[in-house]
Amino acid sequence: MKRALPWAGLLARVVTGAVWIVAGGLKIAEPDASIAAVRAYELLPSSLAQWVGLALPAVELVVGLALVLGVLTRGAAVVSALLFVAFIVAIASVWARGIEIDCGCFGGGGAKAGAASEYPWEIARDAALLAASLLVAAVRRTRLAVDSLLFDQRPEDRATTTEGAVS
Amino acid sequence: MSSNSKAAARAQKAAELRAAQRKRENRRRVLTIAAVVAAMVLIVGGAIGFSVWKQDKDEQKLEDAVSAASQYGVAIGPEDAPHDVVIYEDFLCPYCGELERASRDDLARLAGEGKVRVEYRPFDLLSRLGDYPIRATNAFAVVLEKSGPEVAKEFHDLLFENQPSEDDPGSVTDDDLVAYAVEAGAVEADVRPGIEGLSHRDWVTEATDEAMAAGIQGTPTILLDGEVFQDGRTVEDLAANLVAALE
Repeated sequence: MKRALPWAGLLARVVTGAVWIVAGGLKIAEPDASIAAVRAYELLPSSLAQWVGLALPAVELVVGLALVLGVLTRGAAVVSALLFVAFIVAIASVWARGIEIDCGCFGGGGAKAGAASEYPWEIARDAALLAASLLVAAVRRTRLAVDSLLFDQRPEDRATTTEGAVS
Repeated sequence: MSSNSKAAARAQKAAELRAAQRKRENRRRVLTIAAVVAAMVLIVGGAIGFSVWKQDKDEQKLEDAVSAASQYGVAIGPEDAPHDVVIYEDFLCPYCGELERASRDDLARLAGEGKVRVEYRPFDLLSRLGDYPIRATNAFAVVLEKSGPEVAKEFHDLLFENQPSEDDPGSVTDDDLVAYAVEAGAVEADVRPGIEGLSHRDWVTEATDEAMAAGIQGTPTILLDGEVFQDGRTVEDLAANLVAALE
């Protein structure tokens, strides 16, 4: 179990990160569609929706890259988890208010008849990815992360320390 | 004694070295984190910058295209009115229906008072859901040609009042379209053949091409004096703010 966790962490990291990269990448070149998708939730005032619509794809892309590469992994995993919580709340809120929209998760967005039938599955998907994000945050060190290169003490550093103590 | 103090000095030196080492490590750690965070901020900033630039470009294109007069629509209000509103819409789009309900009477009144010229430009955005957008837009073009702009505006209003749901766009039949046209003031013999035979299919295609070339990505798209107007959280807010801006 102890050995398996870092590998599970790696899997969770790559899957969640890849989803973010796809989601952010598809929206980043379509700012108007992204803003319209945020607006369709009817949660934010217009000017704020504009900024969220513009910033969200960029943040998603960076969080995705950080997770896949394993850079500042825990921080990225926490941001990722918070975003999924926000998405779940947003989808639950349109569901409760009876608004039928394309979630705009991977581009698109706006009114869509019969969308309510997809809400449970969208929430389940986001909940699964939320769990994966929390796993990454909890594991601390996952396999094959750039963090290991950046932050783990290097062997030669340890050698000098020992040397210093001896002289 | 002397060997003791020597050992103590050695231990102290070793401790100092370890402390210095730890300090270096910490500094390296903080610098690394700062560098990575800076890189992330740069990427986010760059991406937002790119999006804003792209959005400006799209909007500019749209505004250029819109300021050009279109023959694919119907307008109310005097041509020299102080304000100019263009509304792109699809007869099937539910938000367009909502916007119509929330704004039509006020816009008609303001146009009557000479405060605004409102131009409705229907096109086919949603024919992937069914052929209704094409049939309705074609019918609009037929009525516009055969019975003139006033009847066409009335017909346009009736289409939104009797809008089918996106789930069942076929519920409004060609017979219904003819009936609404007649209700709007058209002569049945003038419009029935065109409505049933999709005589203005090309008009629909051209109107749609024009809207696409202008970069219209969704409906309704409202332009107030040549600029995209999207000030409102809901369609009702949007309509209320638009009317308030024109008063």
